[in-house]
Amino acid sequence: MLTAVSAIAFMLLGRAGGDAFTTLRDNPQVSAETVERLREIYGLDRPVSIRYLKWLGSFATGDMGESFHFRVGVAELVFSRLAKTAVLGLAALVIAWSVAFLLSFLSVRFRKRWLERLIEFLILITASTPRIALALFVLALMVWTSGSALAIGSDSPASFILNAFVLAVPLIAIFLAQTHNELNAAMGEDFVQLARAKGLGENTVVIKHAFRAALNPLLTLFGLSLGGVIGGSVIVETVLGWPGIGALMVTAVRVRDVPLVMGVVVAASIAVWLGNSLGEVLQLVNDKRLRDAENFFSKE
Amino acid sequence: MNERTKRKRKAVSIFKWSILVLIFLVVLFAEFIAPYSYDKQARSEPNAPATSIHFRGPQGNFHFRPFIYSRRMVDPLTRTYEENISEQYPLSLFVNGDEYSVLGLFSTNVHLFGVAGDSESSPRVYLLGTDALGRDRFSRILHAIRFSLIVCSIGTLLACLIGIGIGLASGYANRLIDTMLMGIADTMLALPALILILAARAAFPLELPPTRAAFLLIVIFALVGWAEIARLARSLVRSMREREFVLAARSVGTSELKILLRHIFPNIAPTLITQATIMLPYFLLSEVALSYLGVGLQEPAPSLGNMLAAANDLTHLQRHPFLLLSPAFVIFLFVLVTRVLTMNMRSSAAGRDDAAPTI
Repeated sequence: MLTAVSAIAFMLLGRAGGDAFTTLRDNPQVSAETVERLREIYGLDRPVSIRYLKWLGSFATGDMGESFHFRVGVAELVFSRLAKTAVLGLAALVIAWSVAFLLSFLSVRFRKRWLERLIEFLILITASTPRIALALFVLALMVWTSGSALAIGSDSPASFILNAFVLAVPLIAIFLAQTHNELNAAMGEDFVQLARAKGLGENTVVIKHAFRAALNPLLTLFGLSLGGVIGGSVIVETVLGWPGIGALMVTAVRVRDVPLVMGVVVAASIAVWLGNSLGEVLQLVNDKRLRDAENFFSKE
Repeated sequence: MNERTKRKRKAVSIFKWSILVLIFLVVLFAEFIAPYSYDKQARSEPNAPATSIHFRGPQGNFHFRPFIYSRRMVDPLTRTYEENISEQYPLSLFVNGDEYSVLGLFSTNVHLFGVAGDSESSPRVYLLGTDALGRDRFSRILHAIRFSLIVCSIGTLLACLIGIGIGLASGYANRLIDTMLMGIADTMLALPALILILAARAAFPLELPPTRAAFLLIVIFALVGWAEIARLARSLVRSMREREFVLAARSVGTSELKILLRHIFPNIAPTLITQATIMLPYFLLSEVALSYLGVGLQEPAPSLGNMLAAANDLTHLQRHPFLLLSPAFVIFLFVLVTRVLTMNMRSSAAGRDDAAPTI
């Protein structure tokens, strides 16, 4: 799969439309011969297919080349930035999940009409708020209150919280809707009645029994939402200035840095794949039936 | 259903349909509703705030016809303007202004509203102020809604056509082709769409003329967006194939292609249309993101995304946040409306009933 993605991306990037040295051509101090020599040194004068095979060969040995723009190895750059985004994404997931869990818990525990209404409203609003609009709104709020965007554009704690919050908002819609539905469905099951009949407190019933049963679809969602987090980080990090992989992708595209674009695409697909696998493993941990089923099939 | 929920539903449906009608009117008649053309500059009034519309004259007497004053920049550094209250310019409906053509049929110069007797010397009315080049932001937003929506609709349509074609083929073909096609689709779906779109965009020159950029964006949307609808179409075809009416059609000797097009397709079309409605905001947001980053639809043509890029001017953003973020409100409203519109249809399509836009 990774090979397919990288081949498509490389073919696209390799076709006409300029490369990292295109802008140098407009520079009157750099002669055309110099540009050609540079392209020769970096192998840009060779056909796309040869370049791709070379790239694939070195990629197999773990070498992703050097960024034209940053003049450092792509692998280190991409993975250090990916780590920054991962921390951010994790914080966003925690925020979204705490909101989803808290509200769903309160709503099944106390069964109030206004809580249901609040949840419905929150889902609608958070699902219709694009991250780009929210990020710009947060930016406007920052410059309006403090008169400067100094708090933004660094990896300070304040900037971290703002970034994570903006990243979390559309996730709240997904998580809240799912948690609410699943928890409500689980509350109607027989084992909840049984737990109540055993004389357990209502809090224990909801948290230890119903929630456990409702958890599995949410773990699938965890894997699925990772792609959204990485896609969303492109805009959020650019607007609010968090030095993560999304901002790196934008820079790479703007300066036409092919190895870097390739690196980001590969890293993003690895991250999403890892997230999905992690979601599946967590499901196995949570649900004994799934574990047993897996063993059953492997024995056959 | 009690009286109260009935009334609430009615209110919601009136809200969403009126917004939709409004959007369609804007798409069809942007030039008529907009007081000025999108590239008309007022060099003396860059970054101006909204024109204040008065009903009361300097002596406190009330005018039924609203009027405006001409303005003069008093401080070029902070872009502060001062009104000259010596002369009043009344506003009016159906005024003559810039020439334009209606739907390519005939040309006229009548605009919905504007300053009466508009001449070069009279001031212009700016409902949302002007941008850094002195262009009317309100007129630009109307044109931007049209431009963005047309590009995204064509993109969605194209993606759906490709996706449905591949989905139908995959659902009806043999195992090998099916596995291959769906393998490609899964690969596309596994990657974050925006990263994929950006990577595809990086293959082309960054600066393009507006029409070519729009065309490129449509192609990219189609190439990236087909996978989701192809998966849906395939699974629907698979479930339909086993139904009795297909068996009946086959038993009377109908050809497979005809079964697919005449019997199966009409049955799965509503679900696919719903899915297309759900996809449209995704593409709109991708356009906004790309144009905001400067690699999407390009100036001087206005799009919701490249208008938002004005918010990068932080000093101006601090002074007039609502003016600069007005395209963001339009985007929010559009996503909200499409969501409310598809709310009841959602659960039937795709199974992803509460997916939020991820951009």
